[in-house]
Amino acid sequence: MPLNQSMKGKEYPAVTVTVERDDVRRFADAIGEENPLFRDPESARGAGHPEQLAPPTFVTRMQILTSAQVVVDQELGLNYAMVVHGEQAYEWRRPVVVGDVLSTVPRIADIYAKKSNEYLVIEAEIKDARGETVVVGRTTLISRGTGEG
Amino acid sequence: MAAMIRFDDVAVGDQIPPLSKVVRREDVKAYADASGDQNPLHQDDGFARSVGFPGIIAHGMFSMAHVVRAVTDWVGDPEALKSIEVQFRAVVFMDEILVARAEVASKDEITRRVRLKVWAEVDRAGERVLPIKNSEAEVELA
Repeated sequence: MPLNQSMKGKEYPAVTVTVERDDVRRFADAIGEENPLFRDPESARGAGHPEQLAPPTFVTRMQILTSAQVVVDQELGLNYAMVVHGEQAYEWRRPVVVGDVLSTVPRIADIYAKKSNEYLVIEAEIKDARGETVVVGRTTLISRGTGEG
Repeated sequence: MAAMIRFDDVAVGDQIPPLSKVVRREDVKAYADASGDQNPLHQDDGFARSVGFPGIIAHGMFSMAHVVRAVTDWVGDPEALKSIEVQFRAVVFMDEILVARAEVASKDEITRRVRLKVWAEVDRAGERVLPIKNSEAEVELA
C-alpha cells in the first residue's frame, strides 16, 4: 500500500527534552566517547563552553521520539515492519550542552517513490529555550516494497 | 585530546585516522538504552530472523555516531563540526569490526570550511562492506 501523499507538510506535536547530565554520560559511554569535553563540566568550561557538551549525535534521542510519532500515524499508512533508516543528516548551529531545554516540531518534509520503495523525509528543527535553532535534523525512512514501481 | 587541526594543515586527499570498534551485543544494548531506540531488530535474534537477518544488527545511528567521533577526535574541537549527511547502505552484525573513516574532499578558502567524504566499513569474510557510504561531513577550521 503506497503512503498517503497528502501527508506531505504535516506537523506533529512538539517534542521537548531537557539535556540531563546522566543521559549525556550514558550516551557518551554507549558510543565510547572519551573526550573530556563530553564528560566533565570543568574541562568544557576550560575550553570556553558554558557547560559540559553533549556528543553531536546525542540529538538522536530526540529524533527517535519524533520518528516514533510519525511511524505510528495511521493516516500515513506506514508498515513499520517494512521500514529501514535510509539516511540521516544533521546541521549543527552550536553544540548541545547539559541543561539545554530543546524542543522541536517534527514535520513530514517529503514523500516520494523510487522504483519499488517509498521515501519518507522527516525534518526536525531543534530549538533551545530562547527559540534559537541549535540543530536541524533530517531523517529519511525507506518503506520497502510499498511503491508502485 | 588531539591537537586542534588547522585549515592550512589539511590537503585534499588526506585521510583522517580511522576509528575501529568491535561491535558487541552489549554495545548495541547500551546504545538502545542511551538513544531510546528499542527496536527489537537490535535486541531480539528471533525477531531479526523473522525479517530475514541471521541475528540482530547494530543501529545505523550507532555506526553514524562512530563516524562522527572519528571526525571530532581528528579535528579536536567538536564545535568545528557543522554538518553531516549519511546514507545507510548495509547492516552490521555482532562481533564485526566497524571502521569509521574520512577523507578530505574539498576546501573552501573563503569560508574555511572543509568537506570530508565519510564512510564506515566492515570486512565480512574478505569482502569490504560499507554500512555507511556516499556520505559527507563539513568542518570549519581556524
